[in-house]
Amino acid sequence: MSNPIGPSWYQRNYFLLRRLHSLTGIVPIGVFLIAHLVTNSSILWGKFALRGDGAGKSLIDGGVYYFAKEVTWINEQVPHLLLIEITLWVSIAFHSILGVVYAMSGKSNTSRYAYQDNWRYTLQRVSGYVGIAFIFYHVATLRWGWKFLVPGGTQWSHHYSASTLALALRGSAEGMTTWGLLVSLFYMLGVTMLVFHFANGLWTAAITWGVTVSANAQRRWGRVCTGIGAALMLAGWSSVIGFAMLSPEAARAQENKLLGKSAHAVPESSSSEVPARPE
Amino acid sequence: MNLASSNSISAQPGRTIRFRIKRCDGPGKPSYWQAFSVSPEAGANVLSCLQQIAANPVTADGQRTTPVVWDAGCLEEVCGACTMVINGKARQSCSCLVDQYAPNDGDEITLEPMSKFPVVRDLWVDRSRMFHNLKRVKAWVPIDGTYNLGAGPRESHEQQERRYALSTCMTCGCCLEACPQFLPEANANKWDTSFVGAQVLGQAHLFNLHQTGEQLASDRLDVLMGQGGVSDCGNSQNCVKVCPKHIPLTESIAALGRAVAVHSVKRWFTSK
Repeated sequence: MSNPIGPSWYQRNYFLLRRLHSLTGIVPIGVFLIAHLVTNSSILWGKFALRGDGAGKSLIDGGVYYFAKEVTWINEQVPHLLLIEITLWVSIAFHSILGVVYAMSGKSNTSRYAYQDNWRYTLQRVSGYVGIAFIFYHVATLRWGWKFLVPGGTQWSHHYSASTLALALRGSAEGMTTWGLLVSLFYMLGVTMLVFHFANGLWTAAITWGVTVSANAQRRWGRVCTGIGAALMLAGWSSVIGFAMLSPEAARAQENKLLGKSAHAVPESSSSEVPARPE
Repeated sequence: MNLASSNSISAQPGRTIRFRIKRCDGPGKPSYWQAFSVSPEAGANVLSCLQQIAANPVTADGQRTTPVVWDAGCLEEVCGACTMVINGKARQSCSCLVDQYAPNDGDEITLEPMSKFPVVRDLWVDRSRMFHNLKRVKAWVPIDGTYNLGAGPRESHEQQERRYALSTCMTCGCCLEACPQFLPEANANKWDTSFVGAQVLGQAHLFNLHQTGEQLASDRLDVLMGQGGVSDCGNSQNCVKVCPKHIPLTESIAALGRAVAVHSVKRWFTSK
């Protein structure tokens, strides 16, 4: 080592940090991403998963009902939810901070070497940066309740998961506002970038760990990753479009049915559990 | 492209072409551009055009200047010395045929020194960092010649073929010039912690595959686990696309990724 005082802590743990960075992208973050997008896209396919309960419901009503049921289950039945969430936040923070450090160690050169693989190298870094901003906004507004960042000031609630999400994406109960449209577009961008980042990261992780060694194996695994990415992209886009076009009024009727309240009941603003209805 | 079509068949005879050359008078001096007009002979390569310029160092504007300096050795694409950036991409200037790059009158070819290594003068760069990095990973077979080792172990044909491809590396630097993770580093003290690049990863793999060279495999993997080792690869895979010898560098990178993963677990359980 050229350093007279010996290798630093960072240098001594260099390999472990690099591999933990790779691993956290798949477990737990990637696994969570899959589960999250599958649940969210149920706004479009939920009706068919309700079995008998779905009969007589429209596609969207069934989707809202199923989605709301799932979200209630996650928030009320999954054990150690806070521990799971903290694990995710810590993993995302770790992956993000090291990711920025690693991204800053390179210099994109797509203008001279405009190969597809090289574009993905650059896009992996760009999507990481956009992804960090998006995840922070997404978690801060919908999980930590930073209402001041939501157009219309909607407080998300797991009792009214679909209707409050629709409000946060639309900006008002009456329809899509300009700010609502910007938030929805940011969601589309964020989801697109993160799905790409995950699918491409799966491809590079197989090289990093030496799973796909031959060029042909890398090509074959690339096709699998493209398939995984395309499926998740479809789930992500249908989630954002589904909720951005969802009528909060109609969604609330389904949520009230699930809560055993009358269809037009309005969430009480006094309770901390149940959200205030934005005006 | 076959040899017949790569020669002068489609190029216009008697044409005049332009060379735009990024020049530099010495280490640390500023770069500047100069243009030269050349009438290439049939089948000319970039080096023979540079020889024409050296014989009559007058710019396209008629200004007399110093001859353009470049490095060259074998003139048959096996030594790597004449590597430069031609029309934006790194390659050997000896095997770069002008008839392909500038077939018509008035066509232009741009020449720059490689950007990842310090410029000695004009198109000549100092590639010592690559040799320094080969020493970092002990890219050699450990025999000191003091006693007779006897016949070496028998090697399978498959293994020979794999090692032969890796052995054709000529330390030219194309893979490093195209790599977004390998950056210029003027301070030689930082070379030990900066990315070794595909060139050294291929050679570490070559000597780890060698049945005697394998004795140093553990030392090599220790270095490649550290800062600047195989983990610093960003998988842009430019290296394998620009390698003039078509060395499967990305396969070496993946093989070493597997080797260091196994090595780290072994070390965690067995090292003192």
